[in-house]
Amino acid sequence: MADAADHADVVVVGAGPVGLFTAFYAGLRGLSVIIIDSLDEPGGQVSALYPEKIIRDVAGFPEIRGRDLVDALVRQVDPFKPHWRLGHSANRLLDSAGVFTVTCTDGTSVSGRTVIVTGGVGNFTPRTLPNSDDFAGRGISYFVRDPSALRGQRVVIVGGGDSAFDWADTLHGVAAEVVLVHRRDRFRAHQDTVDRVLGRGVRVLTNSQVHSVEGTPDLRAVMIANADANELTRLECDHVVAALGFVANLGPIADWGLSLRDRKVVVDRLMRTSWPGVFAAGDICTYEGRVPLIAVGFGEAATAVNHAAVHVDPQASAFPGHSTDEPGPRRLSAPPALV
Amino acid sequence: MTFAITDSCVDIKDRSCMEECPVDCIYEGDRKMYINPAECIDCGACEQACPTNSAVSIASLGGKPGEWNVQDNADFFGVVLPGRPTPLGIPGGASHLGRIGADTKRIAALPPRDPS
Repeated sequence: MADAADHADVVVVGAGPVGLFTAFYAGLRGLSVIIIDSLDEPGGQVSALYPEKIIRDVAGFPEIRGRDLVDALVRQVDPFKPHWRLGHSANRLLDSAGVFTVTCTDGTSVSGRTVIVTGGVGNFTPRTLPNSDDFAGRGISYFVRDPSALRGQRVVIVGGGDSAFDWADTLHGVAAEVVLVHRRDRFRAHQDTVDRVLGRGVRVLTNSQVHSVEGTPDLRAVMIANADANELTRLECDHVVAALGFVANLGPIADWGLSLRDRKVVVDRLMRTSWPGVFAAGDICTYEGRVPLIAVGFGEAATAVNHAAVHVDPQASAFPGHSTDEPGPRRLSAPPALV
Repeated sequence: MTFAITDSCVDIKDRSCMEECPVDCIYEGDRKMYINPAECIDCGACEQACPTNSAVSIASLGGKPGEWNVQDNADFFGVVLPGRPTPLGIPGGASHLGRIGADTKRIAALPPRDPS
């Protein structure tokens, strides 16, 4: 997925399901695409919040697991070679002589002839561990990007959701020791994963929270507060992975100057925002009677792209023809897996 | 379809839901918590977090005695609460508002929970 380009016909802001389908549809219309997302992986709130949930309102799929839907959407767009900018948070939008520039919070920027905002509920940032600010980048992380980097280390994973258990599962056998700390005695993660991790003998401390982090300069231990025992225990470790979930916020998009209503971007029937050349689709947009569902967002994506195509080329037709009429590279990709 | 917090939260307010909510849409009233139906994204994190099983999907309340809680959650945001000039509406996040020292009429009228 790593492919850097800084200019395309369409810049899609947000790689959730609707953003991915928007990028696919732009590819289908022969438009080049850059996809930006603040998260390191595609899928937006489906990946961040409920990868294991079964989704039942996607056309053609009686049931599909969240992460399988995301995988299928990525496979659908991949043949069109979109340029991925994951882990980049869109910060500012400028328009100069018909070229839009999206600048990210890390200072990088991309440009496009049109922008489609598919930012959903906004920018997801990991919830941070209390009293740990000083340890960011030296012993505390919020994602496990490369499990092998933790080889031989004593790792404490904090959280009880899918990410915490997935990482415990991945790191068991790689890290020297994995201890999972969770504030409750119930887990939010998928039961199969919980059972697998517990079956592997990963040490799990329930009703426990990380009270503080110790070590200078490197992290050496965490102090664990146990609600049952009402005491602090020192747990020696080399690395802490905080999987405490995400917090979403509309973030900088609220300040782009787009017309908003109830903190959503107002669009017309062509999915145009108040800024000519900027479109929106999915849960970030609003109009009278909008129903916030994935099925609705997919339709909006097609509408937005077809009208964005006319913005890019006024001679183009908003009606693209039928996807069945043309041969395309997409047919080479595997069909989405049925569950 | 969203989630709602039922009256089994009254006078308990564990507030774990508030900490788990990824969109900060759970607001603290005087005696219970309330979910803003316009801000909830239906993820279900609150349901897992709540120790009193008070955070439930609206669908699960259909036809049950607790169904009135659905409207009551909405009323917390749509009706002018005591001591406030306007309805809360869609504030875009609970944490910057802090505790709202009021409840809906129906919740305020409930007898205090037996401490046992």
